[in-house]
Amino acid sequence: MANFFRRVTRHLKEGFWGVIRHGSMSISSISAVTITLLIIGVFLIFSINVDNITKDIEESVAIVAIVSFDYEEQTELDRIETSAKAISGVNDVIFSSKDQEWEYYQNLYETEETAAIFGPFQDVNPMHHAFQIEIENGDKIEEIATGIEAIDGIDSVEYGGASAVMLVSALNSIRYGGFVLVMAVSALAIFLIANTIKLTIYARHKEIGIMRNVGATNGYIRSPFVIEGMIIGFIGAIIPVTLCVFGYIYVYDLLGGVFLTEMFVMIPPHPFVLLLVAILSGTGILVGLVGSFFSVTKYLRWKR
Amino acid sequence: MLELKKLSKTYKNGVKALNGINLTISQGEFVYIIGSTGSGKSTLIKIIDGEEVPTSGRCEVIGINVGKLKHSKVPIYRRNIGVVFQDFRLLEAKTVFENIAFALEVINAPKSLIRKRVREVMNLVGLDDKGHSFPNQLSGGQQQRVAIARALANRPMLLIADEPTGNLDPEMSNDIMTLLEKINREEQTTILMVTHDRELVNRHLKRTITLDSGHIKSDVLGGGY
Repeated sequence: MANFFRRVTRHLKEGFWGVIRHGSMSISSISAVTITLLIIGVFLIFSINVDNITKDIEESVAIVAIVSFDYEEQTELDRIETSAKAISGVNDVIFSSKDQEWEYYQNLYETEETAAIFGPFQDVNPMHHAFQIEIENGDKIEEIATGIEAIDGIDSVEYGGASAVMLVSALNSIRYGGFVLVMAVSALAIFLIANTIKLTIYARHKEIGIMRNVGATNGYIRSPFVIEGMIIGFIGAIIPVTLCVFGYIYVYDLLGGVFLTEMFVMIPPHPFVLLLVAILSGTGILVGLVGSFFSVTKYLRWKR
Repeated sequence: MLELKKLSKTYKNGVKALNGINLTISQGEFVYIIGSTGSGKSTLIKIIDGEEVPTSGRCEVIGINVGKLKHSKVPIYRRNIGVVFQDFRLLEAKTVFENIAFALEVINAPKSLIRKRVREVMNLVGLDDKGHSFPNQLSGGQQQRVAIARALANRPMLLIADEPTGNLDPEMSNDIMTLLEKINREEQTTILMVTHDRELVNRHLKRTITLDSGHIKSDVLGGGY
């Protein structure tokens, strides 16, 4: 145990000194991390927000099924509800009685005049019983609507129709596009950092040779480099994290929490920024670790 | 302590560096290896140090068959051997003390032991007061002393000196030679010294092995060039 801690402290010390001693190399690696993490951060904010907005919109897309006047018995209603729930992709089915519908309809136009117009008809409710159908996601809205319409006793089905389907598919494309972009930029970052660390290792092959000569195992030679890589990744994450966090809070306040229209609601900064901090600094450290590990291992493998 | 049997090495590019070398060196000996460039001296040292694997034959050092060692075991084996090079190979960013301590840190020795042993070897090579200096503040001879101290820190059974005086003027070379003799005498370390320095070999007469295009041409006790 004492041995283990002695070794860990030595590696940590060497790693920290390594960053300082090879100052210019460290700075170039740190800049590479900073720039790529900044790009990742901006894309991440963008794509997570788009993701959130599309989900909001998709959730608000709902189907209303109207029950025919000939099927108003309680047993029939129960049967319709069970069959609707059985359709795949349906989250929940909420019954809304004709009285509720009538009240809702009247409230839509609530002014004194309209109240006066509706007044005399209070007892002759023209509305149907209805079911509000909540669906898992917008992709299958058309299919589900057809399925529900086919249930015996459903008079008609209402949903946004073709325009709703198009909106959902457009938002999906934006979401996948953003995801692919973030992945591509991340891959680029890893490549860039691994390459920079490879350069720093090449610049230090003399040091590695000496370590070998005095009987250092590969694991021992590798550790300080890996710790150095992690430190570089962490330092490189500081600027992007700060900019993204405060930048997001600033933009959120500036736009009042919505993007362009009231329909696109931004994610509130808290606790979203904590997620940003975790993802960006985590990516920085991980990329430094992975990049330096592979570069050193590759360098060490073929030598005895 | 060192036994070579029909040791041969052919490099991938077809160069035959060593051709069936047979050689035995006992504990506590001081041996010169001489020969012209390309005679196989460097290859011999690389095989003994575990850096190269022989094509055929055996290289046994302190009972270990070096050529058959797994890659992961080579560093552990190497702790039995100290190597000194012509170009010193010191870490420029570390002080003399740190350079020597490095050899002990690598094998995870406790701090108190490191401090004690570093002072011992610094005293042995005559650099007691240079602990805080950096390599570039020292003369070539002093830098080579640091390299020797580092090689000795692990108490190796065998010290390989690859042209240790190649970069030094005759007077300093003589000092280093005296130091190596002292180490051989006081620490009982077996020393294998590769050299080109005719004058040095003739002044300090030892067992001398002459290599010529991968063969042992001569092996003379107290030989001279």
